[in-house]
Amino acid sequence: MPSHRTPARLLDRLTSLELIVVTGKGGVGKTSLSAALGNLLTAAGRTVLLLETDPRESLHRLLDVPPSGGEIVDAGRRLFLQNLQPRTVLDDLVEERLKVGLLTRRVLASPVYQHFAEGAPGLKEAAILGRALRIVEGHGPRRLRKVDTVILDAPATGHGVTLLQAPLLVAEVIDSGPVHRMARDISAFLSDARRSGIVIATLAEEMPVNETLQLVELLDARLARRPEAIVVNGLYPPVTGTGPEAATDDPALALWRERRCINDEQLGRLRDAWTGPLAELPLLPIDPGPALAGALARHLGEGLGATAAPEDP
Amino acid sequence: MSTAGRRLVIVVGSGGVGKTTIAAAMGVGSALRGEDTLVMTFDPSLRLRDALGVAPGGEADEVEVALEAPGRLQAGLLDARRTFDALVHRHAPDPASRDRILANRFYDHLAGSLAGVLEYMAVERLYEASREAPDRRIVLDTPPTRQALDFLGAPERIVAFLDSGALKIALKPWFDTDGHLRPTARLGALGRSAEAFLDRMVGLDLLRDMAEFFQAFGPLFDGFRERALEVRELLRSPDTVFVLVSGPGPERVADTLFFARKLAEEGYHLGPVVVNRLHPEPGPHAQAPPEVLRLLSWLGERDRRGAEELRGLLAGSHPLATIPLLPGEPADLEGLRDVAGLLREQGVE
Repeated sequence: MPSHRTPARLLDRLTSLELIVVTGKGGVGKTSLSAALGNLLTAAGRTVLLLETDPRESLHRLLDVPPSGGEIVDAGRRLFLQNLQPRTVLDDLVEERLKVGLLTRRVLASPVYQHFAEGAPGLKEAAILGRALRIVEGHGPRRLRKVDTVILDAPATGHGVTLLQAPLLVAEVIDSGPVHRMARDISAFLSDARRSGIVIATLAEEMPVNETLQLVELLDARLARRPEAIVVNGLYPPVTGTGPEAATDDPALALWRERRCINDEQLGRLRDAWTGPLAELPLLPIDPGPALAGALARHLGEGLGATAAPEDP
Repeated sequence: MSTAGRRLVIVVGSGGVGKTTIAAAMGVGSALRGEDTLVMTFDPSLRLRDALGVAPGGEADEVEVALEAPGRLQAGLLDARRTFDALVHRHAPDPASRDRILANRFYDHLAGSLAGVLEYMAVERLYEASREAPDRRIVLDTPPTRQALDFLGAPERIVAFLDSGALKIALKPWFDTDGHLRPTARLGALGRSAEAFLDRMVGLDLLRDMAEFFQAFGPLFDGFRERALEVRELLRSPDTVFVLVSGPGPERVADTLFFARKLAEEGYHLGPVVVNRLHPEPGPHAQAPPEVLRLLSWLGERDRRGAEELRGLLAGSHPLATIPLLPGEPADLEGLRDVAGLLREQGVE
């Protein structure tokens, strides 16, 4: 089956989205992919907010800015960064709804609220997605009024689908009232392919590929959505098989060949099961920082068709 | 502090560092040394599953591993929902209340997604397993979460919740037989508008389901609290040791030290630190395209630097073992035996 979209069209599409959720298993390079996507979209003229929810911040290092600590950080060139804890977003929401200071404090301090906020299925996840929706609709903090796209570096905990399904779950459990309407709106936003999209980060190794294929299936089954792209991170350089390296038994070289072989095998599995856009990013000898984010953005751009490869005249 | 002689070995670390493999290898090593051992894992790869002989949704909680060793090796998959169901079955006072809990839609969502439940169920299962066969050694793999310490706090969180009064409020008879909110009935017209307001905000159906869920659960909570306290005790017992698995490279050093410090602060006994998946450095005569050599040297140096830095910072307080990146993740018994050998050589066992 042919790919549904050509690469150049894919980049156009990503550029037109209001929310991109970058998801994947822990340790597969979601954060560096988020930063690279941020670079790519700002280069295409969008104003972008990178939203991180992991309390142990790491996105700032890729942008060479101080950690956010909950504040909005201007990373220059139309790129913003914010680390937001789901609980904070939820507390803000209560404050906004109740409006009365004393009442708000009492609600926030009550054990019932504490446990409800921590435990109610999907509530925290829905709150984060809700925040993203408000920002792109221009109702966020003043400094973020001009943001065109929010890139959400999804939490590594749990399955990507748990996050994306959260608003549906909330809308189902709370079946009327403003909370229900809010959850329903977020849910509609997430199912609207013109407004939001999902990018899956993975490695070409067995477990990450298993989880990726599972996620694709679940997204289809539960949300009727297809990811915009699967991005394979950290690929070892291809082995030509004809050079002098083929003969050496140096352990590092042997390992490279074997690892690349696993990469190829797993890329094959992905391609057999996934006919949509697939971008490959190399393992690069660069420490995490702006240089890495920039280099990955260039590779990603090529993979997604940003810089036109030399074409036939 | 090595893990030898400890009855419980808990393997912790960030997601994607190879905890499951290390836990499986430690189980194999332990059986090879002649100890009866149970390995409990969360999410093994298909091949590791095959090697251990565990299948998801299988009938038995534990299976025998076909390892030729002086000790017996068993393996089990941790399944939160299943443990939770078993708990309900055991503690429910009668079949009617059991069925009421299992059929409640809150339970349905809760069992899978309530914060801490998965983690709590893991420690609950651990407690059970340790009681079933007191002479057996247990190696526990922990949930795949970046906040690897979350699960350890689960018993505390359950106890805090039970003691917080939230439950007492929840267990009050909120609804009368007509399905109206009791406390609002006494308030007359004001009460009716309060009820209408709540209905508008979150829906009375939801509140009714919640109240019913907590009431149905009421009789279970006492047993819960006691067990949670015992589990807390077990995790801090001198018979329990933690093995911290770290990814390679200087980037991970901060994470690893953070975990090590946290564990100590919380009163757990941290044993060895295992730095997993180090790239070897190419030798002086290695021949490959220059950009490949540059990458491999960079990776090898980065990983060596990370391990050295960590070793310096731990300053002999915990044994540090390094496991090289292997061509493929070890997923058969032979591969696990090799990793177990590397761990033993470095004083982990």
